[in-house]
Amino acid sequence: MFILNPQSGIPIYRQILEQVRRMVASGQLPPGTALPSVRDLALRHTINPMTISRAYSILETEGLLERNRGRPMTVASQAKNHSQLPKRLQQIGPLVEQTVVAAKQLQLTEAELVKTVRREWEQNDE
Amino acid sequence: MKAIARLVFSYFTGTPVLRACTIGGLALMAIDFYFVATQPQSGEKLWIAILGLMFFFVGSSLMPVMFGRLARSHSVGVLPGGRVKLLLSAFVTILLVALPVGVLSPASLIATNSSLAEVMKDPRARDYVVGVAALTFSSAVLFAGWMYLAMWFLTSQRNMAGLFKGLLVVMLVMFAPAREIHEFTVSLSWNLLQIAIIWFVFGAGFLWWPRFKSARARHTGERFAGLAGVLTGRTAGREFDVMLGTANPWLLVAALALPLVLMTRFVHETPSVWVYFLTIFSAVTGAYSGQAVQRSRALWLRGDWSRTALFSLVERSVWRHNAHVLGALALVIVGVGLDAGFPATLLAASVPLLVLGTILSTYLGLMNTRGLGWLEIVVAVSVMLLLMVLAVLIARERLDIVGIVAMELGLAVLAIVLRIAAHRRWKQLDWMMCRPDRALTARGA
Amino acid sequence: MNSASVEASNLSKAFGQKQVLQGMSFGVSPGDVIGVLGKNGAGKTTLLELMLGFTAPTAGAIRVFGHESHRLPGAIKARVGFVPQQDELLDQLTVADQLRVIASFYSHWDSALIERLCGEWGVNVNARIKSMSVGERQKLSILLAFGHKPELLILDEPVASLDPIARRQFLEQLLTISTDGQRAIVFSSHIVSDIERLANRIWILKDGKLDWQGDLDSLKESIVRLHIRGTGAELPQFRIPGVLNVRRDGAFATAVVRDWTSEAQAALEKDAAVQVEVEMLGLEEIFVELHK
Repeated sequence: MFILNPQSGIPIYRQILEQVRRMVASGQLPPGTALPSVRDLALRHTINPMTISRAYSILETEGLLERNRGRPMTVASQAKNHSQLPKRLQQIGPLVEQTVVAAKQLQLTEAELVKTVRREWEQNDE
Repeated sequence: MKAIARLVFSYFTGTPVLRACTIGGLALMAIDFYFVATQPQSGEKLWIAILGLMFFFVGSSLMPVMFGRLARSHSVGVLPGGRVKLLLSAFVTILLVALPVGVLSPASLIATNSSLAEVMKDPRARDYVVGVAALTFSSAVLFAGWMYLAMWFLTSQRNMAGLFKGLLVVMLVMFAPAREIHEFTVSLSWNLLQIAIIWFVFGAGFLWWPRFKSARARHTGERFAGLAGVLTGRTAGREFDVMLGTANPWLLVAALALPLVLMTRFVHETPSVWVYFLTIFSAVTGAYSGQAVQRSRALWLRGDWSRTALFSLVERSVWRHNAHVLGALALVIVGVGLDAGFPATLLAASVPLLVLGTILSTYLGLMNTRGLGWLEIVVAVSVMLLLMVLAVLIARERLDIVGIVAMELGLAVLAIVLRIAAHRRWKQLDWMMCRPDRALTARGA
Repeated sequence: MNSASVEASNLSKAFGQKQVLQGMSFGVSPGDVIGVLGKNGAGKTTLLELMLGFTAPTAGAIRVFGHESHRLPGAIKARVGFVPQQDELLDQLTVADQLRVIASFYSHWDSALIERLCGEWGVNVNARIKSMSVGERQKLSILLAFGHKPELLILDEPVASLDPIARRQFLEQLLTISTDGQRAIVFSSHIVSDIERLANRIWILKDGKLDWQGDLDSLKESIVRLHIRGTGAELPQFRIPGVLNVRRDGAFATAVVRDWTSEAQAALEKDAAVQVEVEMLGLEEIFVELHK
């Protein structure tokens, strides 16, 4: 389910956070989907379970996941709506920043960049 | 046939150095044979042959190791008749190494007066020469076989245990057959019988080994009442001793008693026997106790003992071991000494010497908690020297009773001092400093 | 604080003239998996052996489950397991005998677990120890430390001689052990990737001191590499707090800093009128940078 790289500079819990947020927002993880247990995930990827449970706790406080007694954690039913616009904008922030920086390095104008974005948006709808 | 020949060739040419030894050995022996065969009174040149033979033997010294490796390899089981060919190659090698002896020694025996070529013209002389040749050849085959066994221990187990076993075989072989030859009890039929028995047993065991191994693997769950099983049975309940290496005193008894018996048979100056033996025995005892110190490290975390309590337990365990060795050896010495006709007073005085030697070296070993420093070396060497002096005094014709008793009392006091020192050192035992190399690593890490 | 598995205050150790560790204070709590990193000769082995009471500190104190490590009572020792750097196996025994000997010292030895692990790890119970390879001996050493299910497990370079598959098996087993029950694990290793998987806390030993002790996650967030770009041709002078290394190259500079925060980034960008891009570093990079 997740692609985790322990050698990355990004701490594992953050990798999980970003991936879960993205997958919930994109609909890849519909509400009610059960997530693998901390122990299962730890053993499958051979990583420390504490970093996983930290990610899960943060996601729970964010409202993305909910805990069920005796059963694995699931995606919260109100997850999609709970994700407020500012939060979602914050999610995409880093990617936008990277794009803008790259565009500036390539000496593109703002208009040219916006045109590319719009084209990409329309293509992706299909 | 070709396979066997190739194997034998490879034994003699294992490394470039060994190849040179083989060639050099053959050359020397050929030179001596030429002299012996054609020139009269060339018997003294026998040393050339002996030198050549030694080189020749050394050239094949890797044979046991190669044999062992091939025996365990996969290919020997796959090739048709692989094990048989391997076995034959070993036998052929031994025959080859024994051959020069068989040929050269009778020849040089004769050559003290005339040359071999002349003598062989007489049929009776020829029979005699052939008889002597057969005798020496068969003895050499036996001897070479044991030498290769000793080589096996020396080259395959490159540690103290291997060295010990190898030397033991060498000493046994040196003394037993040598004694036979000395007393002219050797005979061709007896030699041939020995060769037949030994090679039959070895060959049968070697050829049946794979089948035995697979049968054993099938019964993995069952307890095998082999030697290993017996040892394990005995060590149940003595795990502490097993950890320290003090569980089995009989190995040491065997290793020490045998040379002692042999020495009393062949060495005629009695003080040297005691001195030699005592020094070795004390050194070995001390080494055992010293080993116990560093092995106690593995016990620290395994039981409810403080360092002082551990010292008492280790001391007790080491004494259980050393006391057995001491008791057995005292019996051996007294028995052997009586049999060899040593004076009773000598024997009576040497037992306390043995006891003192054991006590002193035990505590020297237990004191060895900080690696080998100057203090330890000085004390150990002084103790050895004192024991040796005492041994010499005891073995003299006229016993200086007063001097001896005084020395023994002095050494007893020293033993008490050493024990106190060991006890005090154990209270502060630092396992990071125990071994010389460990201490070095500790200072570097 | 009595729930701490290990506690040290101002711990120092010297061998003769050489000062190996100085003034170290740390704690190990149940559930921690602590990876100890350090160059060769940094004092990792000394630290671990101090924890177990093999040697005594020259100054300061170290306590295990509340008791001084040099004088551990038997009840505490039964809750501790240790895998040394050089194995302490008895060559002349078979694996089964060696296991039996060690098991006899503990009342809580779990033979079923050990038997299962022998099967999973491919350890031949009837093999004689002197004929085993280094990797097999290491596996056995690890098994000998697991059998009594210790609450504190200390390992000194446990995977140094294992091949990647054996290492992975070992990591998995260590994970299983750490997820059930409140166990604490402290292990030293050169293999940074293993530490990154397994540990939740890191100790970095440098010059006899704990250069870093804290969460692995925090470590990765704290030590970062900055790629700094000025607006003009030359980069203006600026000061960065907590900098470890700096390299300037005309209009660009890279700097490795510690204790980095977003406020620091904002401040730097404002004060020096530069653009700052943050690169996060893996543990190996961090270790190398700390030692430059």
